[in-house]
Amino acid sequence: MKLSLGWLCEHLEGPAPAAEMAERLTAAGMNVELQEPSGDDAVWDVDVTTNRPDAMNHRGLAREAAAAGCGILKPLAVKVAEGATQVAKLAKLTVEDEAGCPRYCARVVRGVKVGPSPAWLAARLERCGFRPINTIVDATNYVLLDVGHPLHAFELPLLAGSEIRVRRARAGEGITTLDGVARTLTPEDLVIADAKRAVAVAGVMGATNTEIGPATRDVLIESAYFDPISVRRNARRLGLSTEASQRFERGADRAMARTAVDLAAELIVRLAGGEVAAGVLDSAPALPAPRTIEFSLRRLSDFAGCQIPREFVVKVLAALELAPQVGGDTVACTVPAHRVDLELPEDLYEEVLRHFGYDNVPSVLPAFAVKPGKRLGTWPLTERARDALVAAGAAEALTYSFSSEELENATAASPLGDRGGVVRVENPLSARLAVLRRSLLAGLVEAAAGNLRRGAERVLLGEVGRVFFARGAEIVEEERLALALAGTVGPWDAVRSANFLDLKGIVEVVLAELGMDAAAWRPSTAPLLAPGEGAEVLAGDRIVAIAGRLSEPTAEAFDLPAPLWVAEVDLATTAAERAPSFHPLPRFPAVTADLTVRHGFSLSYAELLGTIRAAASEWLETVSPVVRYRGEGVGVDEVKTTLRLVYRHPERSLTQEEVNAAHFALMDTLARKLAVSFQ
Amino acid sequence: MALETLERARQEFLAALAEAGSDSARVETVRVRFAGRRSGLLRDLEEALKSLPREEKPSYGKALNELKQLVEESLAAAQKAAGDASKRSEVADVTLPGRRPAIGAYHPVTLVRREIEEIFLRMGYSVADGPESEDDWHNFEALNFPPDHPARDTQDTFFLKGGMLLRTHTSPVQIRTMETMPPPIRVIIPGRVYRCDSDLRHTPMFHQVEGLVVDEGVTFGHLKATLEAFVHVLFDPEMGVRFRPSFFPFTEPSAEVDITCVFCRGKGCTVCTGSGWIEILGAGMVDPRVFRACNVDPARYTGFAFGCGLDRVAMLKYGIPDLRMQFSGDERLLRQFEGVKR
Repeated sequence: MKLSLGWLCEHLEGPAPAAEMAERLTAAGMNVELQEPSGDDAVWDVDVTTNRPDAMNHRGLAREAAAAGCGILKPLAVKVAEGATQVAKLAKLTVEDEAGCPRYCARVVRGVKVGPSPAWLAARLERCGFRPINTIVDATNYVLLDVGHPLHAFELPLLAGSEIRVRRARAGEGITTLDGVARTLTPEDLVIADAKRAVAVAGVMGATNTEIGPATRDVLIESAYFDPISVRRNARRLGLSTEASQRFERGADRAMARTAVDLAAELIVRLAGGEVAAGVLDSAPALPAPRTIEFSLRRLSDFAGCQIPREFVVKVLAALELAPQVGGDTVACTVPAHRVDLELPEDLYEEVLRHFGYDNVPSVLPAFAVKPGKRLGTWPLTERARDALVAAGAAEALTYSFSSEELENATAASPLGDRGGVVRVENPLSARLAVLRRSLLAGLVEAAAGNLRRGAERVLLGEVGRVFFARGAEIVEEERLALALAGTVGPWDAVRSANFLDLKGIVEVVLAELGMDAAAWRPSTAPLLAPGEGAEVLAGDRIVAIAGRLSEPTAEAFDLPAPLWVAEVDLATTAAERAPSFHPLPRFPAVTADLTVRHGFSLSYAELLGTIRAAASEWLETVSPVVRYRGEGVGVDEVKTTLRLVYRHPERSLTQEEVNAAHFALMDTLARKLAVSFQ
Repeated sequence: MALETLERARQEFLAALAEAGSDSARVETVRVRFAGRRSGLLRDLEEALKSLPREEKPSYGKALNELKQLVEESLAAAQKAAGDASKRSEVADVTLPGRRPAIGAYHPVTLVRREIEEIFLRMGYSVADGPESEDDWHNFEALNFPPDHPARDTQDTFFLKGGMLLRTHTSPVQIRTMETMPPPIRVIIPGRVYRCDSDLRHTPMFHQVEGLVVDEGVTFGHLKATLEAFVHVLFDPEMGVRFRPSFFPFTEPSAEVDITCVFCRGKGCTVCTGSGWIEILGAGMVDPRVFRACNVDPARYTGFAFGCGLDRVAMLKYGIPDLRMQFSGDERLLRQFEGVKR
């Protein structure tokens, strides 16, 4: 909020120098963010928090400055010279909705001459970011900036029946607000109306039908107190946020409604001439009893953690016009109408402490009984998954949880992604951020595409995060890990592009790190993955991961310039962290024998391995792949797989003859059970 | 006379061999010159034996044999050395890059999050979590944001179906913690949060870490000391820390915490808009209304809460200039953190 320093100082007796005042106000919570000279004045940009509408004006800030020891607040004096005619003869006031409008004050000034405001006033308004319009409107804005109360001026002869009615709008009732927009109201909107029609949206904006113009002679000044929630709903529904609505919705000063109308009337006569009618139309002159708050000085010091002197407490609260009464350990304060934020003793602790200076409270570390903390909820799981990603060589990315409907839908087309409906954002920032991801790949594929388009030779990205599903009325979150791999394998292998086994190797490292290495792989037909190049991984009968090449249509949707290998892991089925335990080392040597199996392409490695395991001697310890060959000497539908078999007896050395016999027996069984040959 | 010839030959041989070093071609030249079968010097010297007077023959012959032995052994040694040297040059340019497995990299936000977690885990705090899709009660109402309160405007909320929303801060986990855990409570709550806001300095998704302490006798001075210790461990022990009054609905009193600008060390620069300070934390004493919403007795317990933006801390700590860059998945940024452990 922009303020004039000169104007602020007019409210103070013996104001402190500007720099000191800025520093002290900042220390007390009124953050003076910028100070710019403007002629013989200075413009301050002050950050006033939403709980302090009372400080959103020059006098309110001067009150804070006084409490911060930067001068003494001058009393607010106003004297209106009234004419003979009673206001009640000129206008009529009816408040039909007292809940929405607890107080409405109005004065009438007749015979004004509307023109441009004098230079001093126009300059002050401009410094505060207001555009000068004419003497009447400027007078109301001046009072707003001076004491913080929003006002509105109507051209009295345009008010049908010279009447003000505060009521809810009729369904479909129209109004053209001062910004020139024709709006349709609902019965929830509070309006100011005359005998016939709405002439203002209460607390938000006036209407063109009663606007002050160059020919205006007689004006009615409105100074009301509207219910904060009512104004806020009105403003939101109409998409209008004005200087008035911002103050009313934070909480205006019910007592000031009466003073402000006098200040405005007095200023209008000074600027535009005319005569103020006698008396004020006031719907509720009696104010509700002020709130009182009591607190204990001892508790205040306990709360702060240091002794706060009683004299200081009293001085600050008095400067804030809270009328402190001390009785023993108890201080009783009476809250003036402008302090809508004060309700509890803690609210008063804050008033005292922020003027005491947060930096003056000594820092003391709490004496906790130190028991080490631990990670709760899903943190142990997700942290382990991040470690797994990094162990597998991936760069951890953090991508948005949102995606576009199209890309999200494409990446969710897998057994992991279709575990529920998509969750839509009701007020998305853009169509690209319209839905929540059901797969981490929504963001990760986009990130990989970005890297490839920037010319990256190799991409290996991973992410650990949450996905969202709509299941019935519920929104369910699941923890996931995802990987994206593209480009070449690495230095010295720049000519070879990453393939399925490169991806699978990385996924296997991740699964092993997560204690899920017992999982079984099988082909997948998920539309997310290219046909014949996708796999799903099962733990028991539950699919815990998918891996493969991103399908062509999806790659096109992401505008991917190169093939991308992707994987996603459901972290819900991760095994508990393994407690390592020692197995005795073998005491006798192993015998190694290689086996080259020529077989049809349709025989999977898993099947071959399973058959070997089932048929082989109990001495067979490990089987590992050596090489796979296709080409000359092998049929087009065939492949030669060379395996290395390690035999070992736990209690003695095996002889070569024994191993040979076992090995040949195995070959016989394989040839019988599978359509395979050897060499 | 003849013995002198042998001695001269010996010296010539040793000099030539020394000069050849371990260059196998030059060692071979030396061999041919001295020990070549057809025209080697040793052969000539052997021929000379025949024409010597009889009495000189025994001593010359002995010396010649010694010389032959020397030449053979020296040549053999030189040839081996030359062979070793040539073998080395075939395999080992040790400056060539190796075939190394990929090194992973934690995201900078993960690095600062873990660093912050470690600081508080050591002080006895646990690390809590909660859902990112929240209800109004936990995100707003229990935190003393009444319905239709203007403070909600500062939260720029994304709404989901059925009155749900994306949490705008990690504070709802404060409520969830107090609802399920009796005091004393000491937790920190890192996590992803969402605001309907996007410009140079804001992204619709970012990360916060929040802290909550509830116990008997917790004071504002405890809050200050805790956050000072935190800043001093996270940045450096000389870092200036300043507390300014502020407003959050769920704390009373509330404070914003500034640290000495890390870019200009407090001298004033464009990042800190000349003030020498940058805001890093929001904090305050838990508002009694929040305690009541969670059935914690405000007459018995006090507490403090604090929060800060993890992405912002990462930017400050690592000098990353643009918030949005951190969520682009750009490996040119991410791989700068290869091998960094937390």
